[in-house]
Amino acid sequence: MASGGGAGGSNKTYSFKVVLLGEGCVGKTSLVLRYCENKFNDKHITTLQASFLTKKLNITGKRVNLAIWDTAGQERFHALGPIYYRDSNGAILVYDITDEDSFQKVKNWVKELRKMLGNEICLCIVGNKIDLEKERHVSVEEAEGYAESVGAKHYHTSAKLNKGIEELFLDLCKRMMETAQAEERAKGNGVSQSTSSRRGVQIVDDEPQAATVAGGCCSSG
Amino acid sequence: MAAAVVDGGMKPLQNAMRMAKVAIQLDAGNRHKVYNVMLPNEEVLQQSNGEMVAVEVEKMLKLAEQCLERANDLFPKLNHLFVSPSVSPQEPGMDSKLNSRRGHCRVLSEGGGEVSPFLPPEVFQRFQAMESLDTRKELTPIEEASRLNQKLKANYEARLARLPPAQARIQKTSLTLSFQRQMMENLIIAKARQDAPDWCCVCAVRRRFAASGCISEEEQEQRVLYTNVLEYEQDHDWPKLWKARLKKYPDDVTLVSGLVSCLLSCPDHPVMKLLKRHQYKVYNRLYPIVSKSLPASPAQLIKPSHSTQSLSIPDSRRSASESSVGHSLSSNASLNITTSNEHRAKEAELDVDGHHTPNRENSFEDLEQFLSQLDWKPSHGDHDMAFEPSQLVDQESLVQDLEMRALKDHLKGIVKDIHIAIDQLLSLCLLSFECLNTASSKDLCLASLEEAFFTPVWSPLLALFRKVHRQRELSFESSMRLYQEASPGDVGVAPGLYPQDPAVLHGSYPYESAVQELRLLCGDCCPQKKLDCIVRTLRVICACAEDYGCLHEAGSKTAAIGADDLLPILSYVALRCELPQLVSECAALEEFIHEGYLIGEEGYCLTSMQSALQYVESLHTGGFLQHNSKFT
Repeated sequence: MASGGGAGGSNKTYSFKVVLLGEGCVGKTSLVLRYCENKFNDKHITTLQASFLTKKLNITGKRVNLAIWDTAGQERFHALGPIYYRDSNGAILVYDITDEDSFQKVKNWVKELRKMLGNEICLCIVGNKIDLEKERHVSVEEAEGYAESVGAKHYHTSAKLNKGIEELFLDLCKRMMETAQAEERAKGNGVSQSTSSRRGVQIVDDEPQAATVAGGCCSSG
Repeated sequence: MAAAVVDGGMKPLQNAMRMAKVAIQLDAGNRHKVYNVMLPNEEVLQQSNGEMVAVEVEKMLKLAEQCLERANDLFPKLNHLFVSPSVSPQEPGMDSKLNSRRGHCRVLSEGGGEVSPFLPPEVFQRFQAMESLDTRKELTPIEEASRLNQKLKANYEARLARLPPAQARIQKTSLTLSFQRQMMENLIIAKARQDAPDWCCVCAVRRRFAASGCISEEEQEQRVLYTNVLEYEQDHDWPKLWKARLKKYPDDVTLVSGLVSCLLSCPDHPVMKLLKRHQYKVYNRLYPIVSKSLPASPAQLIKPSHSTQSLSIPDSRRSASESSVGHSLSSNASLNITTSNEHRAKEAELDVDGHHTPNRENSFEDLEQFLSQLDWKPSHGDHDMAFEPSQLVDQESLVQDLEMRALKDHLKGIVKDIHIAIDQLLSLCLLSFECLNTASSKDLCLASLEEAFFTPVWSPLLALFRKVHRQRELSFESSMRLYQEASPGDVGVAPGLYPQDPAVLHGSYPYESAVQELRLLCGDCCPQKKLDCIVRTLRVICACAEDYGCLHEAGSKTAAIGADDLLPILSYVALRCELPQLVSECAALEEFIHEGYLIGEEGYCLTSMQSALQYVESLHTGGFLQHNSKFT
């Protein structure tokens, strides 16, 4: 039985929305599939296949529900981006290390995300396809330097070899939790979740508050 | 008709008789609605019960009874009109057909000139009341007193008849006097009972809300509502029974849904009364706007020079004046929304006036200038003004602009009201049944309340959304026509995701099952169901894509489809659906989707649907679509 605004936040579940951005052929679909298609439990794959995926995690005793929203990377859908990433807690921006152009696209998205969501959104810039290291066209220094300059973290992954993906998501979750906890503290502990706006983290009590007030003299049968 | 009821100067009986006469005449002509308007007589009857001569009371009662009977007979027949499915009333090219059909069921209180697909609010309320008439078992104190008085009257008449002729004259007066006094007393007691809440309940309410120190208006209202609930529970056993059952088996989901549906079927319960009240309020605010006009057919709007046809809210006299004067504007056409005695509309108008927002000052000046010109021009007949066409083009676009702004503000206000209403309903529901205050029961409760709330108001609500999103729907329509014969590839679906060989499809087209599913959306009247429909559509798309993928490369398991593939397919499906109103439906859904669903599968599906629709809208201008020169 969760108490209203008590300090015991351990039985709270964090729900985070993460958008996945990247040009058509950078392998973002394979990336999330790799992450969610884990051999112990493959029922995380929803009926929407790779476009919308959910994952439940337990990080340092706290439950986290991840909702991963894939977006269309084609240029002609670019204008539709904002309605996908509003209210996001995190964004994963994927580029292909063999494709300089895909890295430029990532830069555009970063600008747009920062403009729309400010600094509250945790950004991950991901260089995918490190199995093709020999054909690299985006230098590690350039990518990492850029990520740092915009307050994002940089990761290297290979969906094909299943490298770096688990770390990427775990790290992102921890950062989103920190952001959420900071936000909670700023709001003050006593504030109930009902005041939280649509924007931002949703913290859901696992069990509802049971009203403790007894019925009146008339209603007790 | 309705005005006659309000008119208090008339003697109630005469009034009622006259109305009944008209009703009977109209009944022969198959115009049923009039009976709904007749029903206020009941109230008139109650109010005047004490002071009216007994004979008149009797006549009135009989009359009312007949009317009620007739209305009850008609109710089932009319019900389908009331909950009319939201089939697009503005389908292109259908206007004339629809108009002629609607002509038969025109609403009498509209003065005959207007044709509206919606019932006037009074009639809407009658329907609400009638729904509850069937199941009403409990009488209010006043009703009880009225029954009692009828018995008294019977006694009185019997005693009068038995009086020996010699004493008749003296005794009759005293009998009559005491009879009248008793009737009066009954009514006074009943009134007091109705007004004063039970003291016991007052205590309980105080205890319940003890925590809050100062009382806001909202809390005050909640207290009153809760008092009503307690009073209701004093008179009824079913809430206690359900509470006891739920206490015994708290995890039984069927019990929860049983309780909720039981509650929804009790029109006397304060929760349901509140629901009806809010519903009526919302309907009342929608009606003045949505009943006024059907938007002009798209073909007329696309024409480069706008005529008065395209004014979204024409004056009721328009059709008459139009034939004589080529370009005419009635002086109050632009401010028609404000002429309704709608409180919120006035607020919206204030906004338009620019009193609140400084950046609108210019438009206010323009409007002022425009209106003053209207005043100076010599008038044709009553209110109609004649303008040079060139003058009109600018001013019309200005008027349209202002109207659109006022409409948007009005819509925003209504959406907010609905949110408040639903919040209030849910909280009263949980206050009445604490046992429902668990996450899953609460969801169920909310879903049921919403369904009950939205079902009768969705079509007028959608009509307002369609007015506001008119331009978007027109764009959608243009794209729809341009891409009528398009293949999935033409809107950017990857070649591997649909069969190239038509023979494989056995006469249908790719993703037809998804198109069929999406078309069902317009048939539902509740946001949650519509949302479920969108989710199902996307799932069907994914399933189809998988099947088609298998056709191409047997053996090699293609990767699951992501948004890169989903969005073009969804756009194709939306195009083939050929329902421009989807644009407005989705816009409305976005307002009413639950916060909890926002980041889940439902939220994702709605967002994708919205994106696909926007993409389709842009197709006819060649907006994003550069690779395809065939259609532009």
